[in-house]
Amino acid sequence: MRIRRAAAVGAVAALALTTAACGSSDDGDAAQDSGPRTITIAYQKTSAFHQLDDLLQKVKPEFEKANPDVTVKLAPIEAEADQYYTKLALMNGSKDTAPDVIYEDTFQVMSDAAAGYLLPIDDYTAKWDDWSQFEDAAKNAGLGVDGKTYGVSMGTDTRGIFYNKDLFKKAGLPTDWQPTTWQEIIDAAQTIKDKLPDVTPMNIYAGKAGSEQTTMQGLEMLYYGSRDGADLYNTDQKKWVTGDQGMTDSLDFYKTVYDGGLAPSLDQALDANIGTKVFSELLPQGKLAIDIDGSWMPGGWISGENAWPEWEKTLGFAKMPTKDGSGDGFTSMSGGWLLSVGAQTKSPQTAFDFVAMATNKDSSLEYDTTNSQIAVRKDVAEDPKYLSYNPSFEFFSSLVPYTHFRPATPDYSQISSVIQTEVEAVASGQKSPEDAAKSYDEGLQKIVGKNNTVAAG
Amino acid sequence: MSTQTLAPGTDGGRDTTSRPRSGGLRALTRSVPLVPAILLLAVFLLGPILWSLYGSMTNTALTGYRAADPQFVGLDNYTSLFADADFWASVWITVVFTLASAVVGQNVLGMGLAVLQRMAPKALGSAIGALVVVAWVMPEIVAAFALYAFFSTDGTLNSVLGVVGLGDTTWLITVPLLAVILANVWRGTAFSMLVYRAALSEVPTEIEEAAQIDGANRRQTFFRVTLPMIRRSISTNLMLTTLQTLAVFTIIWVMTGGGPGTKSSTLPVLAYQEAFKYSQVGYGTAIATVTILVGAVFSIVYIKVLKPEVD
Amino acid sequence: MTATTVPTSSGTPGTRGGRAGRAPRGGRVMTVASPRRSSSRLIASAILVLVGVAFLVPLAWILLSSVNPSATVSVSVPSSLTTENFAAVWNLDQTFRPLWNSAVISFGTAFLTVIVGVVAAYPLSRYRMRFQRGFMYTILFATCLPITAIMVPVYTLFVKLQLLDSTTGVIFFMAATSLPMAIWMLKNFMDSVPISLEEAAWVDGAGSMRALRTIVLPLMRPGIAVVLIFVFTGAWGNFFVPFILMTSAEHQPAAVAIYNFFGTYGSVAYGKLAAFSILYSVPVLVLYLVTQRLSGGSNALAGGIKG
Repeated sequence: MRIRRAAAVGAVAALALTTAACGSSDDGDAAQDSGPRTITIAYQKTSAFHQLDDLLQKVKPEFEKANPDVTVKLAPIEAEADQYYTKLALMNGSKDTAPDVIYEDTFQVMSDAAAGYLLPIDDYTAKWDDWSQFEDAAKNAGLGVDGKTYGVSMGTDTRGIFYNKDLFKKAGLPTDWQPTTWQEIIDAAQTIKDKLPDVTPMNIYAGKAGSEQTTMQGLEMLYYGSRDGADLYNTDQKKWVTGDQGMTDSLDFYKTVYDGGLAPSLDQALDANIGTKVFSELLPQGKLAIDIDGSWMPGGWISGENAWPEWEKTLGFAKMPTKDGSGDGFTSMSGGWLLSVGAQTKSPQTAFDFVAMATNKDSSLEYDTTNSQIAVRKDVAEDPKYLSYNPSFEFFSSLVPYTHFRPATPDYSQISSVIQTEVEAVASGQKSPEDAAKSYDEGLQKIVGKNNTVAAG
Repeated sequence: MSTQTLAPGTDGGRDTTSRPRSGGLRALTRSVPLVPAILLLAVFLLGPILWSLYGSMTNTALTGYRAADPQFVGLDNYTSLFADADFWASVWITVVFTLASAVVGQNVLGMGLAVLQRMAPKALGSAIGALVVVAWVMPEIVAAFALYAFFSTDGTLNSVLGVVGLGDTTWLITVPLLAVILANVWRGTAFSMLVYRAALSEVPTEIEEAAQIDGANRRQTFFRVTLPMIRRSISTNLMLTTLQTLAVFTIIWVMTGGGPGTKSSTLPVLAYQEAFKYSQVGYGTAIATVTILVGAVFSIVYIKVLKPEVD
Repeated sequence: MTATTVPTSSGTPGTRGGRAGRAPRGGRVMTVASPRRSSSRLIASAILVLVGVAFLVPLAWILLSSVNPSATVSVSVPSSLTTENFAAVWNLDQTFRPLWNSAVISFGTAFLTVIVGVVAAYPLSRYRMRFQRGFMYTILFATCLPITAIMVPVYTLFVKLQLLDSTTGVIFFMAATSLPMAIWMLKNFMDSVPISLEEAAWVDGAGSMRALRTIVLPLMRPGIAVVLIFVFTGAWGNFFVPFILMTSAEHQPAAVAIYNFFGTYGSVAYGKLAAFSILYSVPVLVLYLVTQRLSGGSNALAGGIKG
C-alpha cells in the first residue's frame, strides 16, 4: 500500500513538472538573419569520407568573411552511415539540438520533410541565380511529398561492378570482362575461388550495419534487374509491391554468393566498417576480385589519406547485368546527397546562403571531383577540369540510361531497413530466400498498411 | 552495495529508544529534507517509467509523418509485439543470456573464486582477485572493446586455439550469444566474488570446525553448513546480478550489435534497434516497457521473498 | 542500476558501522600440517591461475597494443615499443575534451547524488516517520530497476523536456538513477553515528540541518567519500546514457568519444584505441584503490565509535 502511495505522489509530481516544461517551450523564436548569429552544419565524416569535411573547412572561413556577424559551427558526425542517420535523427528530434544545415541523403528527404525536420527553401531558390544551373532530375531529388524543395543537390552517382584485372588475369579470366547475366558473375567468382583461394572472390553488401549501402549497392542492384519493370513501388497505383518473385530471386543470389563462400566472411560482411574496409584495404591490397559498388569510390583513391595511384590500371569496370540479360540488359541505381536547411533554424536566410555557397560552382566542382560524383550543375558538368579529373567518370556517366531511383515516399527509409534485415538473414543463413521474401512482405505491410500494397504482376 | 547492505540485522549504533517522537507539524517539517530526493526521483526515474508507459501507446516515429504528428494507438504496439516472432526470440535470448551469464556464470564462478581464494596462498588469491576486479572497475566500453578483440576472428582466442589447429571459428558470427555470455561473465564476476568473499568471511570458523569434528568432509561442510548460512547473500546477489544483466547493452552492442540478424539481440538491444534504426519509437518504447515491467516483477518478488529490513 | 555496478571494496560499506569488528576469517579448518590441505592448496592455486590467465589476456591486449606500433586484434608482444599511440591521441579533440566532459558529468553526478542523498538520509536515519517503511521499500525497489533498459523513452522524454545534449540533464538523470542506492548506503552509514551526540546539540537549540552539518557529517566522512567514489565511477564508465542523450561532439564524454573513434578508425587504429582506453581507465582504477583504503578507514571509525 505504502509503495503505491509513494509512487502515486511521485507520478503527480513528475507530470506536473513535465507539463510545466512543455508549457514554457514556446518562447518566441523570431527569424534572426541579422546581428551576431551562429549556424551549425551537421554532416558525415569517416576515415574514408573526408572530402565533404575538406570542402566545408574551406567554405567556413570564406562564408564568415563574407558575413562578419556569422559564426559557422561545423559539427561533423564521425560515424558510418547507419549511425549517421540515427544520430542525425536524434539531433533533429529536439529543436535545441537540431542543426541549421544538414547533409542529407536523398532517400531521407521525403521522410524528414514529412517529420518537419527540414525547411522548404522554394522562396530562397527563387531568388538564387545559380538554381537554373541545376538539372531537373537534381531538383526533383530534393522534393518533398508536398512538392516543395527541401534541399540542394551536391551531386549524384551510379553503381556498377569493379573488378581487379590483375587477379582476373591470374585466374585466367578476361581483363575486359562484361557479364551479361547474374550467373556469369557467379561463374567468374567461382573461378576466382578455385584458382586464387586466398582472394575474396566478390563483395555484395549484406549487413544491417551497412545500412543503405546494403539496400542500394546490394539488393536493389539485383532486384531492379530481376525482371522487366521490377520496382519496389508501383508509381501508377501509388502502392508497394509484394509477393514479387524478383525479390526471392535477388535474395537467392545472396544465398548463392554467401553460402558458396564467394563473399567476404560474415564477420567482415556484417561489420559496420565493411564499406571502408573494401575501399581502403580489400580492393587496394588485391584481396578482393569483384565488388559491386558506387561511382564515388575512385574519388578517395586519387588523393588524400587513402590514395592508391594504381587504381586506374588495376581496376576494370563492368555494367551490372540484369538477371538473364533481358530488358535493357543492364541496370544501375542512383542516389546522391543534398544540403538541406533545418526547420528549426533561427536564421533561415543565413543557413540557405551557406548552402548556396557550399553548392556554388567552385564548391560543387570540388565536391564532385574529389568525391567522384556525377555533376548535377550544368556549368560543372561542362567544365574541363571536371571532365579531365577522373578517368572513371566516362564509364559511370554511361550508366545513366540504365539507372533507377529509389521510391520517393516518406516510408522508404523504414522499408529499406526491412530489406537490410532480410538480406542479412539470408546471407547469414538464418532464413531461406523464400522465407525472407515473405518476411519482407510482412514487414512492408506493417509499415505502410495492407491497403497500400499490391501484388506483383 | 552487496549482500549485507540490503540484508536485515544491519542496524547500527542508532539508539532507537531515544528517538524523538514525531507530531503532526513536526513530522511535516522533518520530511522536508526528503523533498529534493523525491523530486529528483519523480522527474528522472519515475518520469521516464510513466513516460514509457504512455509512449508505448503511441505510434511515434523518428522520421516521417508520425514523427511530426504521433497518434495514440492504445495497445496496438503490444498486440503486434506479442505477435512478433522476433520479440519472442529476443525474450528467449534475454532469458538465456541472463541465466547463463548472471545466474550461472557470474554466481558460480564468483563463488568458486571466493572459495578458492581462501584455500590458495594469500598473495596468489589477492593477485587473481585484483585482475578480476580490474575487469569490472574499468569503463564498460573499454571492457567491451577488449572482449571484441578477444573474440574476433583474427583475435587472441583464435590465435591461442590456432596453436592446436583450431583457430578458425568466427565466434561473433557462429556463436554470438555464447561470446557475449562469456564476455558478461568476464565483466561481471567480480561483483559476485566480492559479495561471496565478504559473506564467507562472516561465517564463524567454529561452526565449520564443529561440522568437521562431527565427521563431515569438506564438501559436505561447504554444501550443508556454509552455503545455508550465506543463503541470504546468495539470493540477494542472484537478484542483483539478474537485474543488472537484464539491462546490459554496451557489451552486446559493441561486440555483435545484436547480430548476426537478431541472434544476440536481448530486449534492450532490440528496443534500441526498433526505435532508432527502424525509426519505430513507439514500438521500441513498448519493448522497453516490457523490460522494465519484468525488472519490476523481479524486484517485487525479491523484496517479498527476502523481506529486507528497511529501518 | 548505475550505482550497483560501481566498485565496492571486498567488504560492505553500507553496514560497516554495524560491526565493531569482523568475525575472524573462517575457512581454515584443516590443521596446518595436513597433507590434504597442501594438495587442495595446490589444486586451488592451479585453478586460480587458469582463471587468472583468462581474465588477464583481454587486459593484456589493451596494455600491449597501446605500446605496439602495429597492433592488431590479437594479443602479441610488440617487436618494438612505441609511445606514438599515446602521442597520436594526446590532443584536445580526441582525449582531453572528452575526458573533461566525463569529469564534469561524473563530478556533477556524484556531488548532486551525495548532497541530495545525505540530506534525505538524515530524517530517515534520525526519526521514525509514518511513511518511512513505504519510502524505504520504494527506494529499495528503485535500486533494483534496470532503468538503463529504457533509454528509448528517456530519449523522447528528454526531447520533451528540452534537455537533449545538455550536460545538466545527463547529470540529473544519472544522479536520479544512482540516488536510491546512495540513500540506502548513506542511511546505513548515518545509523552508525550515535544519536546521543546530536541530542546535546538539539538541547543547545541547533536545528537538525545544523546538527547534521556540524556533528554527523564529520563523523561519516569516509562513508561519504566511498559513496561519492562509487557514484563517480558509475557515471564515468557509463556509455549508454550519454550515447543516447549527448548528440554534439563537444559535449560527449570519453565513453562516447572512444566509441565514435572505434567506429571511424577502429579497423586501422587498434594501438590508438588501446592508448585512449588506458588514459580513460586509469582514473577509475586509481579511485578504486582509494576506496579500498577508505573502507578500511571507515571500519576503524566504526570500531572507534562503538568502543
